[in-house]
Amino acid sequence: MPLKESEAIVLRSFPLGEGDRLVSFLDRQSGRLRGVARGARLPKSRFGSTLELLSHIRIWYFERETRDLVRINQCELIESFLDVQSDYQAGIILALVSEVTEAILGEREVADAQFRLVLLTARGVRQHGPSPVVLAYFCLWTVRLGGWLGSLDQCSRCGRAMEHEPAYFSAGSPGLLCGQCRQEWMRAISPSARMLGRQILSGTLDRLLQENPSKISSNEISSFALDILEHHMERKLVTRKLLGTGVNE
Amino acid sequence: MPDFAEPVERLIDQLKRLPGIGAKTAQRLAFHILRIAPEDALALADAIRDAKSNMRFCSVCNNITDADPCLYCTGPTRNRKMICVVEEPHNIMAIEKTRQYSGLYHVLGGALAPLRGIGPDQLHLKSLIERLKGGAVEEIIIATNPNAEGEATAMYLSKLIKPLGVRVTRIGVGIPVGSDLEYADEVTMMKAMEGRRDL
Repeated sequence: MPLKESEAIVLRSFPLGEGDRLVSFLDRQSGRLRGVARGARLPKSRFGSTLELLSHIRIWYFERETRDLVRINQCELIESFLDVQSDYQAGIILALVSEVTEAILGEREVADAQFRLVLLTARGVRQHGPSPVVLAYFCLWTVRLGGWLGSLDQCSRCGRAMEHEPAYFSAGSPGLLCGQCRQEWMRAISPSARMLGRQILSGTLDRLLQENPSKISSNEISSFALDILEHHMERKLVTRKLLGTGVNE
Repeated sequence: MPDFAEPVERLIDQLKRLPGIGAKTAQRLAFHILRIAPEDALALADAIRDAKSNMRFCSVCNNITDADPCLYCTGPTRNRKMICVVEEPHNIMAIEKTRQYSGLYHVLGGALAPLRGIGPDQLHLKSLIERLKGGAVEEIIIATNPNAEGEATAMYLSKLIKPLGVRVTRIGVGIPVGSDLEYADEVTMMKAMEGRRDL
């Protein structure tokens, strides 16, 4: 029964038994795993605040080939986002980040890029509050990393360039469609939102925040990306409905 | 073909629904119930039936009680200027055991938990605000759990209550009594430093 040491982000935890916790975490080396932290809910727990949502930790755990759950032995805090979650709106965004990451990653699927994206988003929320831009950045990049994002500039059916006209999408369609190829029930995505999408995919989050893009475009991008994610997850996100019509609106 | 006779199978299925009880434990409990004296088994069934039919939520504080309003809300010696806000009814017992608090309580019925879809509308917040409108309450003590959900709930409550002119305080958070400082993580230590007091 080897003891493994790794860097991880806590995605979620559930009470288990008398004072234990079942923890879902994203291990940088081994992907998403679930494990049991014995006594983690007791007042004198050695885990302290390390198992709170999105805590960036160094983790030591035992793994057995025949068992799905690992046994978490020890955790050390690298970076905590507990203070950020005191703000309700910021807490909802971080909860959404956690829910999406847990849902799209298969167990033991190594996802270093997603790991870095989660950290970057949590730091962005800490620095800039519950910003719609940070949410849009996370959602669009998650769709991109999942391999589900088509071209934002060309109609996926006829190949026509769509620069200054609205494009149309539905969660199940492979890409954006132009006004001529669209179906009537498809939702529009504005040229300004697609411009923001291109900026998200080509620049850094800090630079994007300095440019202060519009909240409407950010919410449009988030909504577009979350529709695609929900389609691939085959379920609705619990946290999405708490976002309401948009963050900070 | 089922593994056990139908009544035993049904008992195991019911026990499995309890929190923290898996298939094996349910089976062990079911066979324990079959082995004990009939009057003991019936006493257990009666206790479950009585608790379920006689207990209800207090219309004032949402505590679980057999008399409405509950004994804390009607107690003549309770300090009516203070309300301690807790997540669940069983949290009241932890505070009562200290014998240091004699005020009233308010049970929220949980904490803000976006991952479980619990927002402000799912908590008993309106009834708390209604209680404060009378003007008799001078202090609200927020005793939610010291985790992300509890902290978010505490901050949300303080933003909601402070405009009403009521003092809002939070229970101390930090190093547990009997532990060693060297084992405390950064967040716990920081909370302890923030909550330091004059001696």
